[in-house]
Amino acid sequence: MVKLMIKKIIFLSLLTVHFFTDASEINIKTLDNKPLANAVVWLKSADTEPPSESEITYAMRQVDREFTPRILVVPQNAKVVFPNEDSIMHHVYSFSKAKSFELKLYKEQPKAPIVFDQTGVVELGCNIHDWMLGYIVVVDSALFAITDAEGNVELPATAGTYEMSVWHSGFSDISKVETSEVTLSGIDFEYVVKQPITATIDFTTDEFDDY
Amino acid sequence: MTIKHVLNGLLISLVITSFSASAQVKGLIQIRAVASDDATAFLDNGVGLYRHGGDSDNVLLSQGVIDYKADLTTGWSAHAVLNANQEPKVSLGFTQAYFQYQPLTRSKYKWHVRVGGFYPLMSLENPDIGWLSPYNYTNSAINSWIGEEVRTIGAELTIKRPARQFNSKHSFSFVGATFKGNDPTGTILSWRGFALHDRQTTFNEGIKLGPIASLNEFDLRWQASQVLPFEEVDGRFGYYVGMHWDYLKKSQFRLYYYDNNGDPTAVNYSSGQYAWDTRFSSAAWLYKFNNNTRFIAQILKGETEMGANALIDNAFYSHYLMLSHKLDKHRLSIRYDYFNVDDNDTTTFDDNASYGEGFTATWRYQVSKTVQLGIEGSALKSFIDNRAASNLAQRISQQQIQINAQWRF
Repeated sequence: MVKLMIKKIIFLSLLTVHFFTDASEINIKTLDNKPLANAVVWLKSADTEPPSESEITYAMRQVDREFTPRILVVPQNAKVVFPNEDSIMHHVYSFSKAKSFELKLYKEQPKAPIVFDQTGVVELGCNIHDWMLGYIVVVDSALFAITDAEGNVELPATAGTYEMSVWHSGFSDISKVETSEVTLSGIDFEYVVKQPITATIDFTTDEFDDY
Repeated sequence: MTIKHVLNGLLISLVITSFSASAQVKGLIQIRAVASDDATAFLDNGVGLYRHGGDSDNVLLSQGVIDYKADLTTGWSAHAVLNANQEPKVSLGFTQAYFQYQPLTRSKYKWHVRVGGFYPLMSLENPDIGWLSPYNYTNSAINSWIGEEVRTIGAELTIKRPARQFNSKHSFSFVGATFKGNDPTGTILSWRGFALHDRQTTFNEGIKLGPIASLNEFDLRWQASQVLPFEEVDGRFGYYVGMHWDYLKKSQFRLYYYDNNGDPTAVNYSSGQYAWDTRFSSAAWLYKFNNNTRFIAQILKGETEMGANALIDNAFYSHYLMLSHKLDKHRLSIRYDYFNVDDNDTTTFDDNASYGEGFTATWRYQVSKTVQLGIEGSALKSFIDNRAASNLAQRISQQQIQINAQWRF
């Protein structure tokens, strides 16, 4: 009986621990209190250091003359490949401070990955298809995510105090991130961005628009 | 040194320089079975305005295209389009061969230069490889003519204000070019008139003129029985300027003014080509109602003059309206064409007036990524004054049905 009690207590305390280590849900909102989708959120503390060398290789694909995903978040020092899945050539480039590069990409001819060793926002373009626009957000944390349509991210963060950063491609200066100190306690946390968000312009393109 | 020498030199250097570079080769083979009316096609020296007619092959290679692109440096690339043709005789030739310099710049404005032989990008009907149309097999009257008589052999500069760079929904491009050759451009419009076909002229080809009685007249005695549209006759430079305006790529508008600056009194006696002073404006518009349905229209209006004291002075005009709908693997495209040439000179022995209209309906089915099948029916009526001088009916009605099998690689 006592044994059973002890087991129950252990079980309950485990549950409690589990509760605290559970994912923290963060909700990002615009100035007019609407959910902000596609915002990048990352948390920094002593335990969230990104690995010095990434084992995962990330991919920024080009599909139907668009960057896919449009926004890719990677930890500092991550390797990123740029597979061209179109039948035409792409000339991907960035002039951003965090990483300046250019790659001529042919169908089924992969190039060596690029290591993103500087934190910051890398804006991608294609010199041939000038409507193509993509972002690689390089963060100095292992805890990051992009908000869904409801403006939510779920991050596996234990309760505690973090430096939280938020970035959105609709910021007037896309090289600036909003950073603040937050205390997560296991309950949903809400954050309202401090600036208006410029709407994303969608170009309806197809295979005949290169001409 | 003639234009041909320059182009040959360009092609040789293009092939040599690109061996070590990254190249992209695409190709398209299209076989056609066609049933047509009895009128002999202009390609076979007749007065029929379709590519195929009474004396034509019923099964033929309708397109054989190799599209070659090679990156030479970060900014420079080499481009060439090689076409194989079966009629009027088996031949191989280039329709485009040029170098492009498109630097990667920090500037929000982008620019590029093309040097060599290429199409001015004034039309929106021909965005497929080798300047083919993904819509109808038979091009509009406007682009049938551009494909046979208009080609830039020179240099073109484009400066673009891309929408993305300015966080705008509107893109603008400004185009300016200067070129040699193209002095006989306008000949075919005057003596044959507009036509409806997909037979592009390669750089080393001529277009047969058919039965034109006035060519027996003393004043026109130097004209050969064919037009060499890309010949240089007068030694003068021509030019064109253009503007592209895109709204979200949903609406695309292009406006061009072209002037070959031909000296109407110049003649190349050895090749039998007159210089024609040909000027025209072209406005093209593409509008996507949604991802599946689009409307394309183009208007072309111009004049051409040849000989001393306006011996020949014609005005030409054409427009087309096209609607194309794509549903899954099917694409249906229907088009109406109107065209005319007005004879504004007082030369009585050479009547150049003509007009006509055509209707073209095409259904294409994408069997796989590389194979496409399609069928096209078309009808055309034309009234051409100078047919009377050759004892032919001035008014002709034509119809044709064709089946095409296309393979890409």
